[in-house]
Amino acid sequence: MIKLYDYALSVNCYKPRLLMSLLDVDYESVPVDFFPGEEHKGAAFRKINPLGHLPVLIDGDFVLRDAHAILLYLAAKHDRSGRWYPTADPELIGQVAQWMLFAEGTTATASAARLHDNLGYGFDIDEVRQGAHRLFRVLDEHLWFAERDGRDWVCSPPHPTVADLAIFPDVMLSEEGGISRLDYPALRRWTDRVRRLERFTPMPGIQPVGAPFP
Amino acid sequence: MTGPDQAGSDLAGPDLGGSDLAGRQGLDLTAAPIENGWHAIARSDDAPLRHVYQTELLGRELAVWRADDGYLNVWDNRCLHRGVRLSIGSNEGSELKCVYHGWRYSSRTGGCTYIPAHPGQAPARTLCTRVFPAQERYGLVWANLGSEVDPGGPEPIEVLDDGAPFALRSLPVNASPLMVMSRLGDYRSDRGPGFEAEQEPTVTMTPMGPLSARVTSVLAGVEATVVFFVQPVDAGRVVVRGVLAETPTPSLEIQTLRHHAEALEQLRQVLEAAAGGEPRPAPLEAALQRVEIREPVSSRPGVGDDARVEVVVERKAESGRGVMAFELAPVSGELPTTQPGAHIDVFLPNGLVRQYSLTNRAGDQGRYVIGVKREADSRGGSAVLHDSVSEGDVLTISAPRNTFSLRRDARHTILVAGGIGLTPLLAMAETLNEGGHSFELHYFARSADHVAFAPRLGRLGPAATAHLGLSPVETGEALQEIVARHEPSSHLYICGPGPMLDAARQAAGHSGWPDPRVHFEYFKNSNELDRSHGFELTLARSGLTVFVGPGETILDVLRANDIDLPSSCEQGACGTCVLGVIEGRPDHQDVYLNASERESGERIVACVSRSVDDRLVLDL
Repeated sequence: MIKLYDYALSVNCYKPRLLMSLLDVDYESVPVDFFPGEEHKGAAFRKINPLGHLPVLIDGDFVLRDAHAILLYLAAKHDRSGRWYPTADPELIGQVAQWMLFAEGTTATASAARLHDNLGYGFDIDEVRQGAHRLFRVLDEHLWFAERDGRDWVCSPPHPTVADLAIFPDVMLSEEGGISRLDYPALRRWTDRVRRLERFTPMPGIQPVGAPFP
Repeated sequence: MTGPDQAGSDLAGPDLGGSDLAGRQGLDLTAAPIENGWHAIARSDDAPLRHVYQTELLGRELAVWRADDGYLNVWDNRCLHRGVRLSIGSNEGSELKCVYHGWRYSSRTGGCTYIPAHPGQAPARTLCTRVFPAQERYGLVWANLGSEVDPGGPEPIEVLDDGAPFALRSLPVNASPLMVMSRLGDYRSDRGPGFEAEQEPTVTMTPMGPLSARVTSVLAGVEATVVFFVQPVDAGRVVVRGVLAETPTPSLEIQTLRHHAEALEQLRQVLEAAAGGEPRPAPLEAALQRVEIREPVSSRPGVGDDARVEVVVERKAESGRGVMAFELAPVSGELPTTQPGAHIDVFLPNGLVRQYSLTNRAGDQGRYVIGVKREADSRGGSAVLHDSVSEGDVLTISAPRNTFSLRRDARHTILVAGGIGLTPLLAMAETLNEGGHSFELHYFARSADHVAFAPRLGRLGPAATAHLGLSPVETGEALQEIVARHEPSSHLYICGPGPMLDAARQAAGHSGWPDPRVHFEYFKNSNELDRSHGFELTLARSGLTVFVGPGETILDVLRANDIDLPSSCEQGACGTCVLGVIEGRPDHQDVYLNASERESGERIVACVSRSVDDRLVLDL
């Protein structure tokens, strides 16, 4: 069975958990004492990931680190519909990659602010918050015009992709880092849509939302 | 500093010419024209069904949500319980559910309809979130936080009323309302479709109010007008909401939106760069205000008049043989919050007071709907409603009371209705149905003709079963069958004629249902009342000892001593006047308490019950 080196409160660990839930893939969660134990920085864990960060996925003999890489791998391997990581169309490959890299930005800003506020990480809090707002403005405008075009998701297909999942938790937990979503109505509507996906799974701070209009 | 009236007059002049109002000091956000003004707070499509939009106005956070019936709610963005933002809660269609402990609030009134931690109790009427008037115009949502609200809504804007308004993409800007107003004349939408990039347009900016302005660009004889409404989010933040006077042809809509979004983005960069060089203004502080609630006090004439509600009979129609359905609309404002199981007192033109259950599901607050069965032996209650009350008549009712409240935490709920006893159970069934809960409704009626509210029952699908034309024996057998199947967390609600209710309760007892899971409401108390013995009554908290003589009731004596106890049916059926017993054994003569409640001797129904002992001490 797939093993996920995991920490309940980590957005990056939640990303593969969410995809595996959506794909109905069984896995075993291996809890790592990220805080306060800092087990991920210890020698034992560095044998699994020399970079000393979470999550790490082990599928048989295959070891993979980095949430966004894990999303691509899981989608390519376990999603028979080919929707979560569409690879047939070069433009779609580009779009998914573009927004996955955007998610690196939201992780480095919005989720960094959360680590600062919740766990005392030493980021420049004003800088990461401002950085998150810059990205949220871009994403809100992108999603707002997508809605005008009848599209619900970050990439152009009429269904979500791994890019949505890579960005989603950074956005959903931004308030924990002091980043309000008041100014981003389209972003907020998109988070409803993600939370209404079949087999959606929550995490602390990310609650499911009620049923859509019948 | 400026006086309260100056700000408005300063900027609201008909034509200040020019585009630069900088240097003017006058934009006091606490001034009356702004505080009592209508402000655009969203685009209409920011509030789709089953979503909660979040915004802020004058330092006050708002949760904005549209109920399934289209009603737009603008509320204080905090749950009354722990202050958590309601905007992260869930729009359930006609109720908003807080994400934290699941408190539910009704559309229109903002009244609390359900508290999961107290599933068997109707929430206190005082639990009501602050609601603000809202309107939709020009593709925007408008709200007013003021104490003196012009119900007519925002000032009409001629150029938009005469045109075909087209709401543009709104843009939040981190700059003060004054700075934004002073620079709107710098808005340049000259790179739009059909314009040459090299040409310079003629731009005129005309302030239309303290926080709105009209910007007209003329280029090569083509005129384009955008009216901007500046939402004062806080002292240093706004949302600029533009409305184009003319809707572009469908093929150009997105292009036009993009073009104006880019133009506004350019203005935003200028504004934010300028604001960045200035000290950040202190945030506004939204005052906490008391929410006025109409609290029912008593059905006794002359007492608790604030509890009375005037309603108009909007619709009167037969619904099943012998049953008249009345739709009661508020004369003004909204009807008080109700929950499934609640009843109202109806004050009839002939002086009689009658109780009727509301059929409204939770959150359905637009009109109260009651069903009135014509009683063969009517003493003037149902007959008056059937024969003398017409559509358009004004009736006085009490605010709803709920002593038959519905739990929404049961794994399965069985609702059993006999005849007109359907009414509270219909409210329950629709509430459970909307919430996706497992339930079944059994409705015993004399014949298919006698079925009331048939279309609504039909919408419940297979969960509703009609049992038609059964004899008493057959009814008893059917009831036994219904209550035979039950799980440990099922709840049973029964309302109907006395003999049927007795039979259902008995059957439930035989099938092992414990009292706390069997809920019932009698129409009336058919017990023979015995008032022959007097007793001494002590009110522990009031420090008063009185004597209840033969023929008198506890309620009579309390009132004679100016103690106003809420009451409703005054015959021991509805449970409104229940009091706690501290000492002495109650002589129960009501039909409200169940067997274990009676046995415990902890509560007493003050309108009919008395004392076995010579002395009774009540918690009052």
